[in-house]
Amino acid sequence: MNGNPFYFYTSSNLVELTGERANTLEELIALLKRCTGSAIFYHVFQSYRERHFTIEKYHSDFAQWISTSLDEEALAERLGFLDMRDFTTIRALRESMVKVIEDYIDRYPQCRYRQSKTPFFFCQSVSVVMPTNYIAWTLEDFYRIIEKIGLRSIHYHLIEARLRLGIHTNDFSNWFRHSLRRERLAKQVEDIDIYLHTLEEIRMKILHYVKEETRSP
Amino acid sequence: MTFPRLEDYEPIVGRPTIEEIHQLAERLKGRKVKMVNSTAIGGGVAEILHRLVPLLNEIGVQTQWEVIKGGEDFFAVTKKVHNALHGEPVPLTPRMKEIFLEVNRENLKNTNLDQDVIVVHDPQPIVYIEAKERTSAKWVWRCHIDISNPNEEVWDFLKGYVERFDSALFSSPRFSKRLSIPQFLFFPSIDPLSDKNRELKSEVINQVLEQFHIPQDKPIITQISRFDRLKDPVGVIKAYRMAKRYVDCRLVLAGGGASDDPEGEAVLEEVREEAEGDPDIHILLLSSTSPLEVNALQRASTLILQKSIKEGFGLTVAEALWKKKPVIGSAVGGIPAQIIPNLTGVLVYSIEGTAYQIRYLLSHPDIAQRLGQYGHEYIKEDFLITRKLRRYLLLFHVLDHLGERIIYL
Repeated sequence: MNGNPFYFYTSSNLVELTGERANTLEELIALLKRCTGSAIFYHVFQSYRERHFTIEKYHSDFAQWISTSLDEEALAERLGFLDMRDFTTIRALRESMVKVIEDYIDRYPQCRYRQSKTPFFFCQSVSVVMPTNYIAWTLEDFYRIIEKIGLRSIHYHLIEARLRLGIHTNDFSNWFRHSLRRERLAKQVEDIDIYLHTLEEIRMKILHYVKEETRSP
Repeated sequence: MTFPRLEDYEPIVGRPTIEEIHQLAERLKGRKVKMVNSTAIGGGVAEILHRLVPLLNEIGVQTQWEVIKGGEDFFAVTKKVHNALHGEPVPLTPRMKEIFLEVNRENLKNTNLDQDVIVVHDPQPIVYIEAKERTSAKWVWRCHIDISNPNEEVWDFLKGYVERFDSALFSSPRFSKRLSIPQFLFFPSIDPLSDKNRELKSEVINQVLEQFHIPQDKPIITQISRFDRLKDPVGVIKAYRMAKRYVDCRLVLAGGGASDDPEGEAVLEEVREEAEGDPDIHILLLSSTSPLEVNALQRASTLILQKSIKEGFGLTVAEALWKKKPVIGSAVGGIPAQIIPNLTGVLVYSIEGTAYQIRYLLSHPDIAQRLGQYGHEYIKEDFLITRKLRRYLLLFHVLDHLGERIIYL
């Protein structure tokens, strides 16, 4: 038995309505600048969890809205290309998003006040985090638990962890690296492209890497 | 009547979801909750409470359900309030307000308010909040109505009560208002084990179609909704006619509400006139107690339409998506919350758009099937009764920590 065990948590969120809405890019920027970090977190990372069964063109609600409701596809693509793995704080992410939109408006000023087909409603979330009954002491335990644990738990440890902890990694890799001394496995899980896979596919990838690791000497 | 138990949903939602519900409930065991609404039977709210209250009790949250009692004059006033919240220019006279307040206060006299949480549904019992200071309970207002464009005078009257609650719950971000209290998103839900939504054997489906004389020789397009101009049944027939020039199909318009509603009767007549002479249009007048028939008609359909001009939440969309049916819906009310464009369905803005999408989806069954499949997954994630149950449990926890963004249990 190596190091500390891995305690599996899960998180669920209640969506809070802020009553704020944007009808133009101008209004979106204003709200992006003053909305809570929780609103950014929700629209970029959490609402996607509710649609975990598919890979949409854009994970971010902001990019999705700019594409479908304002038809500013080039801007949607630029926003959609921002990779959350490059950010460890909401503030940095917020600044990057605002800059991308402002640069675009500077270039195409006519889009600043164009009315959207439907408004963008700003929401934010309240997360309730709780421990599950699952604890892994070994890679074998970890494999058996990942096979059956809820997708919310995987999302919590793999995706939410980065911003929660302000790290360029995730809880699973952190444990593999520091408690099990399994650097290769830690890196493999860190490198999973979360934008190109559903959560169920991500589960399968983790299982695959863990199985390979247990087979290797 | 016996209702399903939580474990009965496991084959549908999976073990992790059931476990999470139990874990959330574990920490709420013994809590006392009261739901207050205005009717025990009929209507979506009663339908949901009939399922939700037993489930909450089963997992240890002691939940009572109380129905406000009132005479015809009270319900005439509350109907006006309801219409005014939808934007109708209905004035509330001083006498009406008096009746509204009196009935609420009279009911309050006989109400046990020794609870931890009191959830008041819709405006009818909203004056119960006057008793807040006498209790230690957290008070929640659950609004099932679209109040985005209300009659301002009536809204101002109600707002004074709404903002005394600890929080409010709305069915869609579109439905909410800017308020001084926290507001949470609570989608309505469907029960996958109810007669309206449970799996049916093909013999049952065939039997229902035979009963209504609907041959299954060509694709069937269906709209289930009462005969009401806001559901645009005549527009549906026009869209069907435009599409039928290119793809052969049948149209089923099925709904209730005509027998006791003079306007419904007139709409039904208009629909019959519009459909006259076309044997491929089937107009079915269903009673409100025909959930199995609705289920069978939806399951027998190739495409489902919900071409409303105005809509509440439009749960018929969720019902159809649950049955893996591709849905074409108007971008009104709660429909956009259920249809993510081109992922879980198609949103349309006109009769022509509806006609085009009928043609497109009947010509591309693979795409139609994919929309239905994703729609089913989306409903499973967000619109089932188990999700509603979990939302309430989360709410009860959040009420203990209002203002906090992350709560560790």
